[in-house]
Amino acid sequence: MTFNSAVFLQFFTAFLLLYWLVRHHLRARNVLIVAASYLFYGWWDWRFLSLLFFTSLVDFVVGLRIERAPTDSARRTWLTASIVVNLVVLGTFKYYGFFIDSFADLLRAAGFTPHLPTLHIVLPVGISFYTFQSMSYAIDVYRRDLVPTRSLINFLAFVSFFPQLVAGPIERAAHLLPQFERTVKITLPMIEEGLWLMVWGMFKKVALADNLAPLTDLVFQSDSWNAPAVLLGTVAFGFQIYCDFSGYSDIARGTARVLGFDILFNFNLPYAATNPREFWRRWHISLSTWLRDYLYIPLGGNRRGPARTHVNLLATMVLGGLWHGAAWNFVLWGAWHGTGLAVHRAFAERRSEETTRGGARFRALAWCATMLFVFYGWLLFRARSFEQIVGMTRALADFTAPAWLASYGVNLVAFTAPLILMELWQSRHGGPLAPLRWPRWARGLLEGALLLGIILYWDKDNVPFIYFQF
Amino acid sequence: MRVLKSHFCECSTMDVARLLAWPLAIIALFAATMHLAAAAGWLPAPRPTLDLDRTILTHQLEASRARQDATLVLLGDSSCLMNVDAAELTARLGQPVLNLGTLSYLDLNASAELLRQFVAANPGQLRAVVLLQHPEALRRPAPQEYHTNLLQHLLDGRDFGPRHTVQGALMSLLGLEIFQSRLLARVLPAPLPGAFRQTYGFSADLDRHLTEHRGSLRDPDVQPLRGSAEYRLAPALERASRDFRAAMPSGVKLLVGITPVPEEFAGRSYSLTRDAMLSKWGQWLEADITLTNLPPMLKDDRFVKTTHLNEAGVREFTETLARALAPHLR
Repeated sequence: MTFNSAVFLQFFTAFLLLYWLVRHHLRARNVLIVAASYLFYGWWDWRFLSLLFFTSLVDFVVGLRIERAPTDSARRTWLTASIVVNLVVLGTFKYYGFFIDSFADLLRAAGFTPHLPTLHIVLPVGISFYTFQSMSYAIDVYRRDLVPTRSLINFLAFVSFFPQLVAGPIERAAHLLPQFERTVKITLPMIEEGLWLMVWGMFKKVALADNLAPLTDLVFQSDSWNAPAVLLGTVAFGFQIYCDFSGYSDIARGTARVLGFDILFNFNLPYAATNPREFWRRWHISLSTWLRDYLYIPLGGNRRGPARTHVNLLATMVLGGLWHGAAWNFVLWGAWHGTGLAVHRAFAERRSEETTRGGARFRALAWCATMLFVFYGWLLFRARSFEQIVGMTRALADFTAPAWLASYGVNLVAFTAPLILMELWQSRHGGPLAPLRWPRWARGLLEGALLLGIILYWDKDNVPFIYFQF
Repeated sequence: MRVLKSHFCECSTMDVARLLAWPLAIIALFAATMHLAAAAGWLPAPRPTLDLDRTILTHQLEASRARQDATLVLLGDSSCLMNVDAAELTARLGQPVLNLGTLSYLDLNASAELLRQFVAANPGQLRAVVLLQHPEALRRPAPQEYHTNLLQHLLDGRDFGPRHTVQGALMSLLGLEIFQSRLLARVLPAPLPGAFRQTYGFSADLDRHLTEHRGSLRDPDVQPLRGSAEYRLAPALERASRDFRAAMPSGVKLLVGITPVPEEFAGRSYSLTRDAMLSKWGQWLEADITLTNLPPMLKDDRFVKTTHLNEAGVREFTETLARALAPHLR
């Protein structure tokens, strides 16, 4: 079930009714949330519900065992068990084929004829999200940052909470789990925020991202390119993936908000960033902080000298790239960002006071450089093969204009302008929730226009959310 | 044990209703404005170039209504539209040709309507009409309701959308259909689907291509040859053919032909079937000439799908068609 489907509207309406009926019983509410979340997930493929339940159960049990373990060594053993189980699940369902194929390619290149066992497994939707969320719980308990919950139902609700189950944000137990253990208060400002986020998020997905998708496909599904096509196609994809993913995150947060829950902000105007580090503080925040807390810092972070820091950054981002998908272009994308972060760090360390005070001109230059860096990264991310990356990069020297250039330009402007204008305004007026400070009539005008846009483009091509595949 | 409450709400139903009132009022105001503006004639006529089919139909209808230099008009289904290069035919015949072929989902009544529009816009100019259909279109018992309605709405200058879906009904009710087909489609070209997008780009580019190529188009969408090779004339075709004949202006020659099918796919005996079908169809149409010397079949590698030719196929068929037509147009 996806947010941009009629069945979700029916599901959510029915859920709200039942949610109201159980308002006096906390336990019944959590049972309802688990049942609804499993229905939401099972709508896609019920067979993978067992995997979701298994992952949750393992970490629930591990959490309790770690707490009761008499020695540090026993605690470590239980944590290792959790990490191994989670990584085996992820490895089997997501990466097995990739590693087998890559190994087979390697053998073929060495002159062998490999006959390796292949598994044709469907990738369970959102597996990377819920596995990371569940695993971080066990790590937090091990680190004594969190007291494990004794309620399986609450834990199942935390892992499977339907607004953020299949495409994040990757929640931290310390933030979300306690909300299932207490009575939640729903206020008018929360409903206002929830509705705004749902409408704006849905507009970004249905009206912007889904209309940018064919523009992206026109370039990335081609076999021959020129500079205008590559530039426009890459910009189109950069905006498509942002509208798609941030749209999902906004709907998720909005849906949770009207139920009285608070889930993390996942995006904070990332295309306003003026360096790679700032970009990652604004883009997919829940993943970047997860990687920082559970990978970069345990690797040593920046505590072991500049060289090791750069290696840690690179390793973290390569694994972050691989988290997105089992393909070499994601590894390359991760390495690109890791290198960018390392170079920026080296530059920032040596940057003189004078440069730092460079003011508006320096910031404008830094922004341009960052966007060139980020958007070339999107080319690596979207490309289907290494040959395509090389072909598209080489085409940047060919300034032949495609016949459809004008039509493409009009579409690109039409489907990016609403986002750019809104974010420019948001960046100057206090961030993503700034429209909530508008007078009610003004926000009503905007929400009415956005709703019309949603209806106009609703289910046009039923484009799935990009991040479902991760 | 104390039972904890799940949640409580610090706002009333009225508060939430007030919250929703403004967006809903804006939507209602928009709907009223659109319907009023359309009814009062303040908006331009619908031009729903929103996808491949609608762009083709809109273009061909507009072409039929415009002043043209053509003295020979090609009419028929998508095999007429996509298998003949009208610009090449113009050069070979030495007289201007306009391709008004449309889609296989329409029937001869649609072609007859385009012919009437052309004759009204270009009185006394037409010397001959060439009617070309693929055998798959000839055995179709009835046209698609959607496409027939679409053409009728285009002819009448009325808004049209798929209203059988919830979204379609809402689009119509809220005036979005009017907004989309009368305003938005005029300024925002729609990306075409699949292979058409890779070849032509957007609706505006397809529209321009059709104009530049005198109404002809090439199908870039390669698909396996499939379907049934048992060709026959649908009984309903007789009535439609007689109606088409009635739409023919006097003194204008009617030449009729059947476009080719893939050789291996159809089987060798198809030649006889094609001749029999063409003869019968020609009688129903009271055609001046039946183009029996057009090839019933071409090699399979000349096709992108059962009904449409590739570039080499179009070149070959156009050449053959020019040779077949030349003696009758002197």
